[in-house]
Amino acid sequence: TTTLAFRYQHGIVVCVDSRASAGPLIASQTVKKVIEINPYLLGTLAGGAADCQFWETVLGMECRLHQLRNKELISVSAASKILSNITYSYKGYGLSMGTMLAGTGKGGTALYYIDSDGTRLKGDLFSVGSGSTFAYGVLDSGYRWDLSKQEALYLAQRSIVAATHRDAYSGGSVNLYHIDENGWVFHGNFDVDSLIWEAKDNENSFAHIPR
Amino acid sequence: MFMTRSEYDRGVNTFSPEGRLFQVEYAIEAIKLGSTAIGVKTKDAVVLGVEKRLTSPLMESHSVEKLFEIDSHIGCAISGLTADARTIIEHARVQTQNHRFTYDEPQGIESTTQSICDLALRFGEGEDGEERIMSRPFGVALLIAGIDEHGPQLYHSEPSGTYFRYEAKAIGSGSEPAKSELVKEFHKDMTLEEAEVLILKVLRQVMEEKLDSKNVQLAKVTAEGGFHIYNDEEMADAVAREQQRMD
Repeated sequence: TTTLAFRYQHGIVVCVDSRASAGPLIASQTVKKVIEINPYLLGTLAGGAADCQFWETVLGMECRLHQLRNKELISVSAASKILSNITYSYKGYGLSMGTMLAGTGKGGTALYYIDSDGTRLKGDLFSVGSGSTFAYGVLDSGYRWDLSKQEALYLAQRSIVAATHRDAYSGGSVNLYHIDENGWVFHGNFDVDSLIWEAKDNENSFAHIPR
Repeated sequence: MFMTRSEYDRGVNTFSPEGRLFQVEYAIEAIKLGSTAIGVKTKDAVVLGVEKRLTSPLMESHSVEKLFEIDSHIGCAISGLTADARTIIEHARVQTQNHRFTYDEPQGIESTTQSICDLALRFGEGEDGEERIMSRPFGVALLIAGIDEHGPQLYHSEPSGTYFRYEAKAIGSGSEPAKSELVKEFHKDMTLEEAEVLILKVLRQVMEEKLDSKNVQLAKVTAEGGFHIYNDEEMADAVAREQQRMD
């Protein structure tokens, strides 16, 4: 798996691959690794698919109840704390999840990393999964706070493409999301097979791959 | 009569020889002291209206809450003890969210009403496995409005745990004159706007204070917008339309 998200001047970009593997077997190339918790919050999925899906749905329920009880959206900070409290309370019971929570709410846009150890980190740039190191390589060389929206979306997508090329456990297609004060917007699903050729043709990268 | 009654109105779970549960009956009486709430169903919406009793001119009217969202497609109006209503509404909200979590679809209106009524009888001794949450019956009645695959629906639930479905219903202190007015004025092919005006008109008749956009509040449930509580602007607009009809 490769998942990434980063904050920049216009909001947050969230981008993931879509491969599920079971040992050496590619189980699926069409997994949805971004979980749409509500119109304002996204969670990413790495590690145990069931663990992420289940607990992020539970989180969605808690966020909705918070909204009904307090008549305002929950902050991303509070939402991420609910999730990290859950993972910490199950520490040692075998949960496996590495997730990023990105969204907007009380306190503006924010990005958090939460994992099954109970870690909760606030930050501007994260990548999670077996392909994360490859994605970080591209991300770190191209990231700036004042990226334009178009540049930001492309950088995110390009980082996933790089990771799917070098990491056998990442692949399939790219799912792209953008978040601003009004919530998230889906920016499309793209097959990495065609993206890698586009990158080779347009920017002369991947020069070691013969035509 | 009073002496025999007083022996049986102590225990909340003890029937009188005539087969009555006095504490439950008293709870129903308590609602008749509450502020008036009215619900009217139309072909594609349900409208709820409540009277806000402002006991002091220094009271801030928006802090008096009589209308509550339970889920995006269901809400309610209350009359009686507000504190008891909060327990019920918290239960209903958790219930509807759990339903979505378990079945990935919104809970039906009747089923939500049923789960509210299940709670109403959890007083007294409490059975094995069932948590006892109250020592007495709830002192609150609800008008539950919602929309699901069976269309718009209006339910009335009582402290006795019974519920019925209505096309138009009034509860609270002004309920008796309001009900006879509804019987006279309600018709099945009412529009949403006509229902708003009817509710305000009836509230105006039964309220002690003079009705204005601050001491009443409306809410509606529609297929498009779900449950929606009117804001100050929408209230002023609805009250203005009702006054135009009067002139």
